[in-house]
Amino acid sequence: MSAQALKTETPATAGVEPAPFDSWLPQAAAGEPDWLAAARAAAAARVHTQGAPTSKSEGWRYTGLRTLLEQGFTPVDEPPLGEPMSALLPEDIEDVLVPGLDAHRVVMVNGRFAPQLSDLSGLPAGVRMNGLRASLAADPTALAERVNAVAGDGAHVFASLNTAGMDDGLVLHAGRGAVLEKPVELLHLSVGMDEPRVAQPRHLIRLDDGAQVTLIERWASLGDALYCNNAVLEIDLGRDALLKHRRIQLESPSAFHIAGVYLRQGANSRYDGINVGIGGRWARTDLVTRFSGEHAECDLQGLYLAGDKQLLDYHLDVHHGLPRCTSRENFKGIVHGKGKAVFDGLVYVAKDAQHTDAEMSNRNLLLSQNAEVDTKPQLEIYADDVKCSHGTTVGQIEPEMLFYLRSRGIPEGLARRMLCIGFAGEMIDALGNEALAGHVADAVGRRLEAATL
Amino acid sequence: MSATPDDVLPGDAKTAAQTSTKAAEAEAEYGHLVRSEYEHGFVTEIESDTLPPGLDESVIATISQRKGEPQWMLDWRLAAYHKWLEMPTPKWAAVHYPPIDYQSISYFSAPKKKELKSLDEVDPVLLETYEKLGIPIEEQKALAGVAVDAVFDSVSVATTFREKLSEAGVIFCSISEAVQEYPELVQKYLGSVVPPTDNFYTGLNSAVFTDGTFVYVPKNTRCPMELSTYFRINEAKTGQFERTLIVADEGSYVSYLEGCTAPQRDENQLHAAVVELIALDNAEIKYSTVQNWYPGDEEGRGGIYNFVTKRGDCRGDNSKISWTQVETGSAITWKYPSCILRGDNSVGEFYSVAVTKGKQQADTGTKMIHLGKNTRSTIVSKGISAQHGIQSYRGLVRIAGKAEGARNHTQCDSLLIGDKCAANTFPYIEVKNPTAKMEHEATTSKISDDQLFYCRSRGLSEEDAVSMIVNGFCKEVFNELPMEFAVEAQKLLSISLEGAVG
Repeated sequence: MSAQALKTETPATAGVEPAPFDSWLPQAAAGEPDWLAAARAAAAARVHTQGAPTSKSEGWRYTGLRTLLEQGFTPVDEPPLGEPMSALLPEDIEDVLVPGLDAHRVVMVNGRFAPQLSDLSGLPAGVRMNGLRASLAADPTALAERVNAVAGDGAHVFASLNTAGMDDGLVLHAGRGAVLEKPVELLHLSVGMDEPRVAQPRHLIRLDDGAQVTLIERWASLGDALYCNNAVLEIDLGRDALLKHRRIQLESPSAFHIAGVYLRQGANSRYDGINVGIGGRWARTDLVTRFSGEHAECDLQGLYLAGDKQLLDYHLDVHHGLPRCTSRENFKGIVHGKGKAVFDGLVYVAKDAQHTDAEMSNRNLLLSQNAEVDTKPQLEIYADDVKCSHGTTVGQIEPEMLFYLRSRGIPEGLARRMLCIGFAGEMIDALGNEALAGHVADAVGRRLEAATL
Repeated sequence: MSATPDDVLPGDAKTAAQTSTKAAEAEAEYGHLVRSEYEHGFVTEIESDTLPPGLDESVIATISQRKGEPQWMLDWRLAAYHKWLEMPTPKWAAVHYPPIDYQSISYFSAPKKKELKSLDEVDPVLLETYEKLGIPIEEQKALAGVAVDAVFDSVSVATTFREKLSEAGVIFCSISEAVQEYPELVQKYLGSVVPPTDNFYTGLNSAVFTDGTFVYVPKNTRCPMELSTYFRINEAKTGQFERTLIVADEGSYVSYLEGCTAPQRDENQLHAAVVELIALDNAEIKYSTVQNWYPGDEEGRGGIYNFVTKRGDCRGDNSKISWTQVETGSAITWKYPSCILRGDNSVGEFYSVAVTKGKQQADTGTKMIHLGKNTRSTIVSKGISAQHGIQSYRGLVRIAGKAEGARNHTQCDSLLIGDKCAANTFPYIEVKNPTAKMEHEATTSKISDDQLFYCRSRGLSEEDAVSMIVNGFCKEVFNELPMEFAVEAQKLLSISLEGAVG
């Protein structure tokens, strides 16, 4: 985390229940490599001393943890020895697939890699993909240098929890100059959890110099189960690498969703990320970017729809530590019903990061009396030759626009939906994949249909 | 992990080298101007009646007794003191300073001569001080429309134009006098906007405040002149704990000017003032500040710590409170003039120019709390940071669920001069009403080479060009200042920035 975060997030010791996250931690697994066991133990100890953040911690000012802690989540059970992690067959998941999406598919069921549902055929030379557990089993030392290499032993309590409890994940490595023509679909499926369980996947994505990959990360569920996902993605981009990253969160309406995307960008690399948040009851996403070379470009875009007592919380932390990097942050939100959305963006420009170009924008449509938007677009700038700006708006649907549509004979409800879809359309178009854009547009349409706007 | 150190370092090192050469050039060229001594740095030798350093109940009792205060005032102070003892020092602002020893401060200091009947009785040394500062007290009556209640350390020694004001029914006096003469008004309003428990510094202020200004403008009255108080800290080791209370009754209007300079000192001086404004139905208060206290030497030693709580309450419908501030002085500024927009259709405004250079730190901004229907607020904040200055805009716009039709526009612009300074923006925006309209924009930039080149090609020196560009950058705010202040502010800004270009 940035210096700012370290400064303000002093661990709350007084008034916190003892060890609120202890139930999240798994039993020590036998046969794990020593380095991993040590990392887990250190992280668990850190979580233990930090406790749960309160609304007094700056990063949790608008996001209460009470409902999350009340659930008493426990880790997903290990399957009996010799049994597969999941008994699901390919035909069971057809409903959640995106029609017409041609992709290399990696499916995680309740946080575990499910090879029988995945399709990793036809990968070009230089691109390797495997489950985290399988990778560790094949070579116990291979990932010692990579786990937490980007995420760090950070101050973020949920990243520490993930380190302590990571159960599986995707290890993707695109070698020098490798170009993946087809996108990689990383589908997280939560299914049939009768007790409140927490899955903690850890994905390690690494693109060597000049590699190009499109990653479509999806979150879905079969049924309306109550569960929690606490994911960490570590993304390491080499020189000139390009990653297009689409994150589509359509969790079950009762689900808790926590994601930390930690990104390190080499010189002249480009990250193009779009975050769509529609599902879940309580969702928190941290997007953390660090540059390790000049001329890198980071695009963080987002679209969130919060209603039905939902909380969607996005925290962006872009640290310009080197000169001549560019970052663009553009988040749009529609908040209705009893929804609440939080946007907290920080652009930090260090002393020597001259010629930084950073732009942040957060626009919100607030559609009901009980909805709430809290937004905090922050700039911290210690270099003079920079171009930095941010803009925020919160407003409603323009009565003139509504009047125009109604005068054309369109009923008010439909007119309002049309205007909302128009507002969201910019992000849907930006997804850049026809099948995926159709899928997201459907989800947005269904949500607006159901909502009283 | 894929980017090796070799990938990164060469470019890195090159930039660092370039930057330092640039800085060195700038230093050579303009250093002499930057290091110009503080113009107003002198100390008046005048006998003071000062309490020994330290703070406990007996000190508060002594202050209260010296001021001849009634029992309720003492009780109020003591209650605040006990609350203060339990309060933590705020740590969230982006400013750094060594911890303050509140027991090493003397909490009362008054010039010995008192009970003056006219200006002739004022200590001539004191009058000379004012003249050096350019406050022509003796010419006040000739100066159209400005009454000055000059505060020298902690006791008002001269108040002018009282008669003319009292004709209009306006009360303009020191807060000590008000406690004696208008206890019912003071009791009704004191602490009603900024309660003693609001924060650490208001707690301290409420316990030990020694003087300040009280203004009451009666119903349907337009105050016939701009009211103004010059503050000046002059006694080593005395913090000033001013308390200002302005009440604008229904349908009234008042414009209040506050301006300050302070002499050079080696020890940090604490200033923890509280300003409360109350506007009832259809009333308007305009509060303008030019703050030019001693910012410390090149290393930041000896500057004033300015920890001020200013808040206005638009209590009545259609009321308006407008804050305008030009902050160029103080080692540390911690100040958030705010508006509570309680009445329907009430309006809050905040216009600010803040300059930090040397080792100055400023964490300033505003809070606009929209509670009533159709309330409107405007925030325009211009921050200029040079040399090692650190500048933060920290603001809150809260639109409550019942604030139908609320409207806010916020603009924060920062100008960076040099590569060792900082400009931060920390806006907090909380909206709970769908009919609200809220816009926030912020930019950070430097003076562009093109702008400079254009001015230089028209024959302006670099200094003048920068001064002109910066003044243009701040114009939106200067336009809000009363005439006298606008001129002073522009001059101040030019002086503050002399040589800070590179």
